[in-house]
Amino acid sequence: MRVRDLAIETWSAFDSNRGRSALTVLGIVIGISAVIAMTSLIGGVNRALVGELGLSQAQLVYINVWIGRDLTFDDVEKIARDNADYEYVTATTWGSGDVTTGEKKASGSFQGVEPQYFKATGTKFLQGRAFTDGEVEDGSMVVIIDQNAVRLLFGSVDADAVGKSLRIGNDLYTIVGVTESNGMSFGDDESVNGFLPHTTMATRLTGSDTIDQIMGFAYEGTNMEELVTKTQNYLASAYNVPEDEREDSIYVYSMQSLIDSVNATTGSFSALMTAVASISLVVGGIGIMNMMLTNVTERIREIGLRKALGAKRSDIVRQFMLESICLCVAGGLIGVVLGYVGSFALTGIAADALAGDASMEISPVIDLQTVAMATGICVATGIVFGWYPARRAARLDPVESLHYQ
Amino acid sequence: MAKVLDVHNVHRIYESAAGYTHALRGVSLEVSRGEFLCVMGPSGSGKSTLMNILGCLDRPTSGTYMLEGLNVSELTDDELAMVRATRLGFVFQSFNLLPRATVMRNVQLPLIYTNRSNNERLERAVRALNAVGLPPDFYDHRSNELSGGQMQRVAIARALVNDPALILADEPTGNLDSATSDMVLQTFARLRNEGKTIVLITHDPEVSSWADRTVHIRDGKLLTDDEERAHAAERGHT
Repeated sequence: MRVRDLAIETWSAFDSNRGRSALTVLGIVIGISAVIAMTSLIGGVNRALVGELGLSQAQLVYINVWIGRDLTFDDVEKIARDNADYEYVTATTWGSGDVTTGEKKASGSFQGVEPQYFKATGTKFLQGRAFTDGEVEDGSMVVIIDQNAVRLLFGSVDADAVGKSLRIGNDLYTIVGVTESNGMSFGDDESVNGFLPHTTMATRLTGSDTIDQIMGFAYEGTNMEELVTKTQNYLASAYNVPEDEREDSIYVYSMQSLIDSVNATTGSFSALMTAVASISLVVGGIGIMNMMLTNVTERIREIGLRKALGAKRSDIVRQFMLESICLCVAGGLIGVVLGYVGSFALTGIAADALAGDASMEISPVIDLQTVAMATGICVATGIVFGWYPARRAARLDPVESLHYQ
Repeated sequence: MAKVLDVHNVHRIYESAAGYTHALRGVSLEVSRGEFLCVMGPSGSGKSTLMNILGCLDRPTSGTYMLEGLNVSELTDDELAMVRATRLGFVFQSFNLLPRATVMRNVQLPLIYTNRSNNERLERAVRALNAVGLPPDFYDHRSNELSGGQMQRVAIARALVNDPALILADEPTGNLDSATSDMVLQTFARLRNEGKTIVLITHDPEVSSWADRTVHIRDGKLLTDDEERAHAAERGHT
């Protein structure tokens, strides 16, 4: 029996039973669309969460050392020199002061940074640019503020701020850039957040160049777990930290582990959801089997006829198996489309549940692997639940089935 | 003339909860090529069992059945399916057409199990439909749109399409009125004149008058002519 004949036979079987085929398929459609909706939604949530952290964050290592003295940018330089795995090692200092522009006044928190800070943290600029090496070296009177600060000082988030002047304490600074507001930045909405060259910060605002936080930005593809251990060992020997004080004195933390834990959480959530949705697939599969059994009973005479005309057992098995597989796969493909569309409808609810408001942007993620898996599951369901009816059909006695009433 | 069919001392015993049923008790039968044989018998005489064995749908419990020199009593299920697909054509009392399929597809149905090319299928189907006298404007009709006589002619065309050694017809006129029956029987007679071998099973003496030869079956045995005359005389007295 040729494939084409098999296909024609299968199609005409569906065609003569459209209503029932559609209803039977519904079970599979619901099962697969539930799986796809859940996995693509969770994929979207995962991407949104990891995206919130910033992709470059995966390469970022936070370093703190407590050794009885304050660390300075000289220490940062030394760490950078001794650890070739880092593309950059940079640090921030911290200071605060009142900010005024014309008639507006607000309190401000500032980080003193080097130019590579922006690269290391993947900070996005909405206007202007980052500091230059020259500005840091000279302790220039330049400032970078975030979008929220632009709103506070100039009335609108979109207001042109670059080139305008800003007073911090008693000194006048020129705004050279505006960054995206970072959800994780310190301070509340009513205070100005921004950056100064760390040299400027030390001379004008705080009077000291004491480091608040060291950050290392690893080369792409570095094994972060190994790097963290390596860095801990390096710091312990470089600063002569005794073995028993290491845990209290040296703190090295990679964002990768946070991203890993987000991935693990969404992954296990996804697995759980898939397991729940699979139950409906099993129910759908039983529906298919039920229909195929009814089909076999209804078509006993036809099966007898086919056998009389020369159909082998294998021909009958193939015909009924293909019917069952096609039903499942058709249901599966419809389910993939419905599930993907449905996951968009669920993004609002998911964002609300996760972030407390519906503004968190979640775009469902569907990949080829998921679709292939869903199709595979459907084929398997078709085989598993089609096998018994098909075998029953094939084993019918031609004489009895021809005379079946 | 060459023997198409050679049945020798065939027994068929059914086993059931009620015990053994001896449906055929040593049937021997020969049919030559181009012969139109009628097997007559009342219901329960074993004629359906004989038909099933001749049609390779069932195997004899003992005895041999040679179809064109091939001992079919020894074949496996799949081999029997192959024999049915290539050497036998069936015509049933209730036509057994696929109801929603077109005439063309119904006639071609046996060919899908023998892997013929599409062109060959069409050619053979048209030839078979010509042979039963069904005009081309019916080819695309669904089989359930046809009259009983037309349906049975489609069924005969289906039986012819593989150019079988033997056409087996089981009460082919049982569901037809007498005018339509005559038309169908004329079709068989014409096929016989074209050299086809036909075995037709019936309980209707009218039908048997169309055949070259009639054998009578009763209680699982074929009767000699004398025995049959005796039986007929018996019936005449009651």
